[in-house]
Amino acid sequence: MIWRIVIALFLFFMLGPILLVVLFSFGSNSLIGFPMGSLTFDWYLKLVADTGFHSAFWTSVIVAIATAILATLTGTLAAIGLIRLAPAYTRTILAGLSLPVLLPPLVVAIAIVVLFVRGIGVGLGVPVVILGHILVSQPFVILIVMARLARFDQSAVEAARDLGAGRWQAFRLVTLPQIASALVGAALVSAAISLDDFIIASFTIGAGNTISTFVWGKMRTTLDPSINAIATTLLVMTVSLAALALRVSRYKA
Amino acid sequence: MNRSALVLLAPATLVFATIFALPVSLLFLISFWSVRSYRLQPDFTFGAWQRFFTEYWDLTLYTLLVGVLAGLICTLLGFVFAYAVRFKAGAYGDTLMLATLITLFGGYLVKVYAWKSILGADGLLNQALMIIGLRKEPMAFLIYSRSAVVIALVHFLLPFAILPIYAGLRNVPDETIDAARDLGATSSQVLSRVILPQIKMGLSSAFIFCFLLSAGDYVTPMLLGGTSGSMLGQFVLLEFSTRFNWPAGSALSFGLLFACLIVLAVLTLAAGIVVRQKPVTGPVK
Repeated sequence: MIWRIVIALFLFFMLGPILLVVLFSFGSNSLIGFPMGSLTFDWYLKLVADTGFHSAFWTSVIVAIATAILATLTGTLAAIGLIRLAPAYTRTILAGLSLPVLLPPLVVAIAIVVLFVRGIGVGLGVPVVILGHILVSQPFVILIVMARLARFDQSAVEAARDLGAGRWQAFRLVTLPQIASALVGAALVSAAISLDDFIIASFTIGAGNTISTFVWGKMRTTLDPSINAIATTLLVMTVSLAALALRVSRYKA
Repeated sequence: MNRSALVLLAPATLVFATIFALPVSLLFLISFWSVRSYRLQPDFTFGAWQRFFTEYWDLTLYTLLVGVLAGLICTLLGFVFAYAVRFKAGAYGDTLMLATLITLFGGYLVKVYAWKSILGADGLLNQALMIIGLRKEPMAFLIYSRSAVVIALVHFLLPFAILPIYAGLRNVPDETIDAARDLGATSSQVLSRVILPQIKMGLSSAFIFCFLLSAGDYVTPMLLGGTSGSMLGQFVLLEFSTRFNWPAGSALSFGLLFACLIVLAVLTLAAGIVVRQKPVTGPVK
């Protein structure tokens, strides 16, 4: 009984604030507060009409898709490489590649800006955001794919090789179908990380906006009630990606 | 070493080297440069570091304190929740972990904004307190305070603590617990002698992650901290953007990093001493 109360309190603390934002995105009252007013979709309609939000939305989508594809590629190759190494090397390299996740995102973001502006004199923009997001997503891809590869029977690959398959052929026909669900899961997690990131994007995007930097602009200036609607949109996108990732890796693996 | 493995590792390492190792090294170098009339001078001075040690040391200590506090609360709460999911929730365990994932991906900014709406002067908590009649005037100190920052940080980081601790608990075999019970161990003995030693890794990674992320945060104190709850990250940003003083911003960043590493080293040492004092084996009871 006491554990039920404990669990309920935890759920209230964790989900309560997030649900509030969702709830008030449908209220006609301009700010979070009771009474919340009547049910309305006005804030969403306002977003649909807002061209600033349009460009931010599509920038976020492009960055997330590019991050998902590229981080899954670099991370998966690294994971396949790592399992061929001695465990001592694997641990050291994995720890090194995970460093960008442990440092404050602020420091990573500023360092990237310093390099691109001062070091090579290339302007900032969407490609730099994508590179930054690949950097912080690939450690997660490596972990997910390595976990899958650890449970994967390497003798199947050896059997294929004995039967005359080339390296690439064995990979494409034996390994890849086995780890495909993990790759999809890793790509979805990368996309969710990319959508959720605010700090790296806000420093490296230069002009323009992602959804996160767009909502930040509104949070800093006025308490615009459409923040609730944008936040809910972002929430639905990241949570559904994460839930999908969980489903894919649960049912296929 | 395996040559094909090196080729496979090349793309990830290239990203790491060019987007992380190189820029972070350059940033470190800049902390020894100087600024004259808003222009960076490649130099070798300790001016920026001197500023870190003279002007910012108290803020650094406060920032570390917030980090340790948020890290400890997250680890403790994360353990309680993960323990409940593993041992008490039964079939609901999966649903609870899904709720954790929703909180994890609930959006960094969304969460801070939600707390601003709850704790603000005309926020939900004040309204609720006034409706019940506990307060006539809104309490201003709910928002723009140190506790508001810690609450929001714990909310943001709790899922990051739950996941590694739960992963650790899932690997604790039921047999070891049953065996300890059969041999007459009490619940607290099972916890301290059987469960906790097996999830040390999960607990420490939860703490390290939450500590580092909260010590390095600047968005939460910016929106919820007011003047009393300011943290070092905000001044890193200030030096870089408003003051155009890159060396100072860089020295602050690395000063914070080194300070965090010192804290972690001290805590690891202290934990080692505490653990060594307890007999690991020996008769239970």
